[in-house]
Parts: sequence; C-alpha cells; structure tokens
Amino acid sequence: MNIVWIVVAIIIFTILPNFISGYYIRILTAIFMYAVLSQCINLMSGYMGYLPFGHVMFFGIGAYMTAILMRGNLPFIVAMLLASLSAIVVSIILGFPVLRLRGHYFAIATIGMNGALMTVVQNIDITGGARGTTFPIIMLPPGQVYSYFYYAFLALMIITTFAIYFIVNSRFGFAIRSIKANEDAANSMGINTTNTKVVTWAIAALFTSIAGGLYGYWMSFIAPDEVFDLMFITNSIIMMLIGGAGTILGPVIGAFIVETVSEFAWSGFMEYHLAVLGIITIIIVFFVPGGVIGTITEKIRDRKIAASIKSEVAANDR
Amino acid sequence: MIDNNNVILDVRAISRHFGALKAVDRVSFQVRKGEIIGLIGPNGAGKTTITNLVTGDLKKNAGEVHYKGTDVSSMQPFQIARIGLTRTYQIVKPLQGMTVEENVLVGSLYGRGNRINDLSNARKTVHDVMELVGLYKKKDFMVSDVTLPDLKRMEFARVLAMDPEVVFLDEVMAGLNPSEVEESMELVKKVREDRQLTIVYIEHIMKAVMGISDRIIVLHHGKKICEGSPQEVRDNPAVIEAYLGKKYAKEVMKANE
Repeated sequence: MNIVWIVVAIIIFTILPNFISGYYIRILTAIFMYAVLSQCINLMSGYMGYLPFGHVMFFGIGAYMTAILMRGNLPFIVAMLLASLSAIVVSIILGFPVLRLRGHYFAIATIGMNGALMTVVQNIDITGGARGTTFPIIMLPPGQVYSYFYYAFLALMIITTFAIYFIVNSRFGFAIRSIKANEDAANSMGINTTNTKVVTWAIAALFTSIAGGLYGYWMSFIAPDEVFDLMFITNSIIMMLIGGAGTILGPVIGAFIVETVSEFAWSGFMEYHLAVLGIITIIIVFFVPGGVIGTITEKIRDRKIAASIKSEVAANDR
Repeated sequence: MIDNNNVILDVRAISRHFGALKAVDRVSFQVRKGEIIGLIGPNGAGKTTITNLVTGDLKKNAGEVHYKGTDVSSMQPFQIARIGLTRTYQIVKPLQGMTVEENVLVGSLYGRGNRINDLSNARKTVHDVMELVGLYKKKDFMVSDVTLPDLKRMEFARVLAMDPEVVFLDEVMAGLNPSEVEESMELVKKVREDRQLTIVYIEHIMKAVMGISDRIIVLHHGKKICEGSPQEVRDNPAVIEAYLGKKYAKEVMKANE
C-alpha cells in the first residue's frame, strides 16, 4: 500500500517539470534539497538523539570543495564525490572528540566548529575569501539547467530517504535507535556506541555534502556566510519536527509543508514569515510532538493494541 | 552441573571509593561455571557497585576482575557484554520509544559476539525468550505502556537474548507479589538448567535468595563479611549483626545455644 503511493509520487514528480513553470520547478528543487538536509538531521537527531546544530558545515564543505575541484578542471560528478569524501573525513576527525558530548553540549560544540570553519574559509585565498567563489557556467538554456537540478535533487532525495530507511531498519539501525533511547543501556548490551555515533554522523555528512555541492553548482556562486548559514539547519529541524522526528517520511512531508507555507507567507507577510514559522513550531512541539507522520503511526499502533486486547478478552470469555 | 574446577569469574580485591566513602573495599570472590551465587547485604552494602565494577559501568580504583582467564577490569561495558558477561539493572533501563519486542531484539542483535546478523534469526531468539519469561502477549506494547514487573521481565528477556555465560541479576524480583516471586524463582532455576548459565543473584527477598542460591556472599559497608552455603550464612553471627544490630544478634545467638 505504502510502496504503491511512493512509486506513484515518484512518477508524478518525474513527469511534473513538463507541465509547470520555472518558478515552481525552483520551489520544488528547494523542497527536495531541504528534504535531504532534514533527512540527515532526522538520522542524527530523530533517530540517534544527537542534534547537530552546526551540521551545515558539511553543506559548506561540499559546496566549497566541489567549487575548488571544478576550478581544477575536474568534471562535476568527480568533484562532488571527492568533496563528499572530504566531508566524511572531517566528520570522522571531529566526531571522535565532539560526540563524547551529550545533549545541548554537542549541539553547541558543532555550532562552534561551524563558526570556526566559516572563519577559515573567509580568510584563505583558495576559497576566494569573504567575497565567495564561482562555479563554471553551464552552457545550456536556463530552462534545461533548472530541470537538470530538479532531477538531481529529486534523485538525491529519493536515494537519501531509501538509504536512511534501510539503515534504520537494519541491525546497525537498532544500535542508532538504542543510543537515543538509553546510551548506557545500549553500551551494556554490547553496542560500541562511540563507533556507531561517528559512523552515523559520517553518513549524515555524506548526504549533506552532496546536497551542498549540488546547491553550489545550482547557484553558480557561493559565499561563506551563505553556505555556512545556520538557517539551513534551523529550517531543516523545523521541517523534521513538523513532519515527524524519527519517522522516515517525516522530513520529506515537513519540507513540503514548511516550504509551501513559507513561500505563501513570503508573498503575504514579507519579513513576518520567520515569526509565523516560529509560532507553528511551538504549537507543534507542545500539541503534536510526533509531527504529522508520528501522530498517524501512533494512532494506528494504538488501534492495533486495542484490537489485540479486545480479541484476548473475547477469547477469555469463551 | 556445577563445575568445581572451572572458575569462570574471579574477582580479586576489587575496590571503589566515592570520596571518603569506601563503597567496595578489597572484595574478592570466585564464581564457578553453572553456579547461582546470592549476593546479599543491607542497603548501601555495595552490591550494585560490585556489579557495576564487574560489568565495566564503573571504573575500579584497585583490584582485578578475571573472566575466563582474562582481566576485564579495564574494558568498556560493550566489550565485556560481547564476551558473555552481562547484567540487568536494578533501576530498569528500557530503551524508550521502542516496543517491548524491539528492546529484546536489540539484545539479541548485539550481546555476546556478533552471532546473529540477520533480523529474522534474531526475531526467532526474541520469540523464544519472550515466551519463556511470559511476555510474548505484550510484545507490541511500547515500553512506556507496561508495568514495572513487566519491565523487569523485559530486562531479563533482553539479557537472555544476549546469550550470556554469566549474568548479574540486580533485584529482578523487586516489586513482584509473592506468587510472582515463586514464578520468577522457578524461571531462574529453569534458565540455569536449560542454558547452563552462571548467575550472580542480588536480591532483598530472603526466601528467594535462600531458595535458589548454591552459595551466598554477604556484604556489609563495602566489605565481604561472610561466604558460604545458605545454612552457614543464616547462622553466621556477623550476618545477623549486620542485618539486625548487635543487641539482637546476641539474643539470637543465646537462643540458638
């Protein structure tokens, strides 16, 4: 049932660019990109309980490394893959010390690292400093360029979602979820919590950096305060919360809801859209902490348990 | 069944201080394969601290813990769990946000060695141990929705799913009513027979400890004050004193004469 809907949705989004204008293609592309980021935050926070506030650093690393390597005349795909490799290396090197911290301390430490990295990028020559850097121009008509990135981000969103789906439902996924549930208990059950956390962060860094590389190429110009902007992560967290933290489709649904609402609020209220989103977030956290998907699955599970109790009672009466 | 020549766990003069408090002070004991050892003592005697030291949850100040010939006292908890030495928690540590079945599944997926890699095999183990502890009907409940006795059962099932050789059971019967205690005692005995488990059993319910232990170790103020069969321990003046005070101990000894 579920899989049918997902296949239908994928087919619709595949043929959709033929029927809509460039404006809507750009909005959908941004939604797909945010879904990827939100999915990575979901893996770290929704499933593992570690909120990486400064996770945008991998987005920046992806964008900058891709730009620098492409200036060295590497084709985009190769540059992007090498960039994501460097993001993985950074996540592992930073992960071992910083993932010892728990809760807010971890979140704050990652913000600090992101700030440090941004300052470095702003002050060295190879990145173009604070003025930013450019990507090679794509020699295609604009319409084609837009649909090129539309399909790239759509594919990335689908791959990320499926990859995380398989990860969290595997043996390794149970280790990830145990860490969120009770890290000490997980450790005493034979789970190497340190390695699990570092590997999970590396996976999140991989997909985030690919999104960063694609974003840079899409924008064709990047500046440090843009691709290291914490707003990317704030938005992704809001999307995850609205869609449902710790559910596989939550971040995707959340990205659609938030981007649609903020597009609508943008044209309606201009600078009030942040306030609107803030209020929505507070309402969600207080009244529907499971988000859209979490609330639905909870209802389904409760119904299942109620039915099983009912059938047991009936069996005892007989 | 008890292999007297096979000392599986050898605790040598282990100590742990919290500031000036000597929570565990040079305690030594040996556990033979297949034994059930009762670990008793008044509140604050250091029973749980010893468990924490053996399973790596706490770092020792001095001493050694030898498990099957290797010193495990500087290993991490997960490494110790992987070689088959594990424990339940007095204050239950369920994995929140998961169902009862998933909790036990984690134990079966990890635990000793990396025996079970695929989920379907792990689920079979889970089914067996949950039937054994009588929790199968509640497998789809979230851990936040079940009672404390059920959580204790769940912890026991989770430990069994880890396929250990030595288990420290830290007050698995607390909060159970008398008939449940009876059931639980039978279960512990049955599990020992079926799985050739070695059990170190921490409990305040004397009936249970006396009923199932082969040997009993008594702790008081972090020191081992007595070790022997249930009968020996029951008649030991130091034990009576620790539990009932000096004055009462004298009267008991007089009455016994």
